[in-house]
Amino acid sequence: MIDNFSILLSHVLLAIALWRLMNRPDLDHEDPPVQDEKPTGFGQRNRPVSATRKAVPDA
Amino acid sequence: MRDLIFVAYIVLIMLLALKRPFLFTLVYAYVDIVSPQRLSYFLLNSVPLSLILFALAFLGFVLGDDKKNVRISPRWLLLILLLGYCGYTTTVAVEPVAALDKWNWVWKALVFASFLPLTLHTRLRIEATVLTLVLCVSTLIVTGGIKTAAGGGGYGSLVILVDDNSGLFEGSIISCVAITIIPLILWLAKHGTIFKPEWKVRVYAACLIFACLLIPVGTQARTGIVCIAVLGILLLRYVRHRMLYLGAVALVGLAAVPFLPSSFTNRADTIKNYKADESASTRLAVWAWTWEYVKEHPLGGGFDVYRQNRIRYDMEQRANPDAPLPADLPAVREVVDEGRAFHSSYFEMLGEQGFPGLLMWLIIHFGGVWRMEVISRLYRKRNRPDEAWVAPLATALQNSQIVYLVGSLFVGIAFQTFFYMLIALQIGFDTYLARRRKEAAWLPLTGRSKLAQG
Repeated sequence: MIDNFSILLSHVLLAIALWRLMNRPDLDHEDPPVQDEKPTGFGQRNRPVSATRKAVPDA
Repeated sequence: MRDLIFVAYIVLIMLLALKRPFLFTLVYAYVDIVSPQRLSYFLLNSVPLSLILFALAFLGFVLGDDKKNVRISPRWLLLILLLGYCGYTTTVAVEPVAALDKWNWVWKALVFASFLPLTLHTRLRIEATVLTLVLCVSTLIVTGGIKTAAGGGGYGSLVILVDDNSGLFEGSIISCVAITIIPLILWLAKHGTIFKPEWKVRVYAACLIFACLLIPVGTQARTGIVCIAVLGILLLRYVRHRMLYLGAVALVGLAAVPFLPSSFTNRADTIKNYKADESASTRLAVWAWTWEYVKEHPLGGGFDVYRQNRIRYDMEQRANPDAPLPADLPAVREVVDEGRAFHSSYFEMLGEQGFPGLLMWLIIHFGGVWRMEVISRLYRKRNRPDEAWVAPLATALQNSQIVYLVGSLFVGIAFQTFFYMLIALQIGFDTYLARRRKEAAWLPLTGRSKLAQG
């Protein structure tokens, strides 16, 4: 009885999850990320202050 | 009847996967963790379900996925190397028949762990994999938790779905897995998008975590108690109100002790007095044997080499060190044993795969802890709202990994499929983030205009 309840609960939840995933376009393709506003990593450390200017809005 | 329901269910989820082939990968993980073949009697046993699903998942990846998003990492290469090396040691194993038996499931675990990261190239796929692992393990946890709460259980006697002491159904292993998934449940309850964080999800997550904590009580596996303690300490790191957290943990711990069955507290007490515990003494003797063995055979003896051991050790007669010893009883008695398992993943790797295998295994696992630390720090510093889910997931995966690494000190789970899925998840998550960081990287004006021109 307890076993069947446990199996039913997890399997129903898994089926709902798969159903929802099936209808999500971002499962296979994502939009490109938002561009960083300033350089990061080693580039930022070595760059002089004047070079780390504010980001210009994209055209 | 159960057979027919399982067959209908698997057919249904496979039909869903036809539309989105990545789902075959999740269905494979489901079959591997839950083993519906074991829960049914005849129908599913007669078809090579895992093989069919892996073939479909692979076909879906080859035909449907955009390969330009595929990245590999050093740890991924190491997984492949470990697979090849284990294949080699199997051919020269000192226990050829037993070694081949183990190899037959180990290679599948390693091949799937190598395949999974290649498919994880969206955030949703990563989340879907975490959710699938948690829901699949919950099939075992919910029943184990309810049975324990209802007063069942006992060392080696808590039956979780099937009376089969292998795979995830074994007491010590399911105890370790139950605690391992707690950080993942917490992450899903806070950052999930498939089941969004609302009150129903939070209540279910809280109940599931409670069930996870009950599993070591039900199975009376001491490894689980150690894992709970380790997780308690790890969670302290990022908790907002530390004193409140410590107070709550102490209160819950003290309140729980009177409700624990005396058999559990007695068994937990044996952690302190290991010299009079046969299980602990055997472990120490087997580990000593393993060390001597690899000194002579540095490349290991292949899978299940422990079958060769003949061990002899002295065990204290008194279970309680303060108790007086009867005059006619010697203080220690000699115990002779043979073919005892490693009871530790570290010694399992050392004995079976020698120093090269142990080294690869350590780099794969401790490399995961280190990479998750790097990601967690980096993304906390980046602090972008669209990446708010990243650092908590890195921390959750790291905590799961540390719990596993501590638990596996006392249990031979070096090749457990479930933990290789966690490793695969880490590798896929890491390479996904590296690609997204590159795509998001700041470009000077010249670069932007080139990008705009396309």
